[in-house]
Amino acid sequence: MKLTGHGGKEVVERILPGGMAGSIISDMPELEVDTQTAHECIDIGYGFLSPLDGFMGSEEVDSVCEEMSLPDGTLWSIPITLEANDDTIRKKGFREGDEILLTYHRKPLAIMKTGEVFQLDADRVAGKIYGTSDPKHPGVRRTVSRKGKSISGKVILVGEPEFQPPFDRFWLTPRNHFSLYRDKGWEHVVAHQTRNVPHTAHEWPMKYCWFAANEDLSVEVPHTGVLVNAVIGEKRNGDYIDEAIILGQAELANAGYFRKDTFAVSFTLWDMRYAGPREAVHHAIMRTNLGCTHHMFGRDHAGVGDFYKPYDAHSLLKQVREQLNIKPVFMMENWFCPICSEVTSSGLCDHAATAQNFSGTLLRSMLIDGVQPTRQVMRPEVFQTVQAASDTYGFGSPFVTDSYLQNRGNVFKLADPRKEVSP
Amino acid sequence: MNGQIMINIWINEERFEKMREAGLSGMAQDMLAGMKVTRVKVSEKQKDILLSEFPMAKFDSSTTGTIELLPRKVKDEIFNLCLEKKSTGEDVIEAFILRVRNGRT
Ligand SMILES: [Zn+2]
Repeated sequence: MKLTGHGGKEVVERILPGGMAGSIISDMPELEVDTQTAHECIDIGYGFLSPLDGFMGSEEVDSVCEEMSLPDGTLWSIPITLEANDDTIRKKGFREGDEILLTYHRKPLAIMKTGEVFQLDADRVAGKIYGTSDPKHPGVRRTVSRKGKSISGKVILVGEPEFQPPFDRFWLTPRNHFSLYRDKGWEHVVAHQTRNVPHTAHEWPMKYCWFAANEDLSVEVPHTGVLVNAVIGEKRNGDYIDEAIILGQAELANAGYFRKDTFAVSFTLWDMRYAGPREAVHHAIMRTNLGCTHHMFGRDHAGVGDFYKPYDAHSLLKQVREQLNIKPVFMMENWFCPICSEVTSSGLCDHAATAQNFSGTLLRSMLIDGVQPTRQVMRPEVFQTVQAASDTYGFGSPFVTDSYLQNRGNVFKLADPRKEVSP
Repeated sequence: MNGQIMINIWINEERFEKMREAGLSGMAQDMLAGMKVTRVKVSEKQKDILLSEFPMAKFDSSTTGTIELLPRKVKDEIFNLCLEKKSTGEDVIEAFILRVRNGRT
């Protein structure tokens, strides 16, 4: 099966064949990478970031910042770079052409053929990508905090990460996504980006989007699916725990709010930049590589605070529409209308004065108090699943706490092929 | 009511039924898709006692004038006291503080 991804290019896996790694990597100089880089190595290895085959050099970063494209003209909105501190680079004496073993938690992750070692102008990159250099913006902080120099180079994974329960049930590579759609008979797939436990103002837009994405396909047998693709990356205090997100989303189909033949849940390893419009374009690119044909974009997609206007992301997606191999489905604000007696859209319901908004703060306070929401706010099965996930994985809380950050289970583990060589 | 300190308690269908039985249904205000909130009054002095007894709690003085982040069990107990006393006034918090202090000694 040929996998056609972003830019019409084939999605290629970059993984060493089993058993080869042990002998190849034993003498390589090592570079320990942080979580963001580990995630991006895995993304490159499986093709989530296709057509990227490695970390960017200065020419690519410039092109992404200035032109929002790779040097060959392919649309690209977020620089993907690897940083190492100056001391490490000096001590290890990395030079162009060297093969380096990238390790994560001291386990072999990927081989990188060193390209260019260069100084990233983080302030300039931040200004271009986020449209601000305000340190209150978490993406700006993320970009600026990555000190040292950047190293470019093509990446190949030395092995496959082993995803741990409960994530193992939801881990799908781009290739697996394409196979899933073929098995389910889906011709159209609409992606729903999430970092949330689902409440009904998430569920209803997904349902609207199913109709939008189905377009003129026949409906006797489903030819369209909703793919909830959760983003799993670095967590901050107060975020929903990953386990509650993924199990809560899956419960929508387990409990029948979606038919199993129209709904699937998976995740992508990605550390949110909160880059609003540019991040929306990036999400569209990643979901194209998962074979999705449509992507839902709500109000203030991937935004933070009031750095972006509610429909800035929609405007940018419209500007680059011709270069996207995925069709955006734009959603407005959703609310509960006591007069319509349903969750609806501000584009449909004309009772704005009495509309009740689903604010994150309200939902959070219901969950903290453990008071089961009405089924028109959150499905009881989802609530129970989230409560159970809090107990099993969240040290009693559905939200990230210090205990969770320090003691949570790994999302994935890496094997050490060197041990197989020298027991 | 300006400057009145409050504790917000979530009221779902089950709790609303109990409030109705206690004659308190008028005290629940619709917030979101059938979820209601009842506001329990707290005096300045009671606020200080609660914040010292439950150091994780915060008083949101700037926007809502409410005491937030009280442990779940505390809010459950305050709700039960509202039913018992058929009130959402300061007498509820008075009784709650008394219980906490008796539990201590
Ligand atoms: Zn309405």
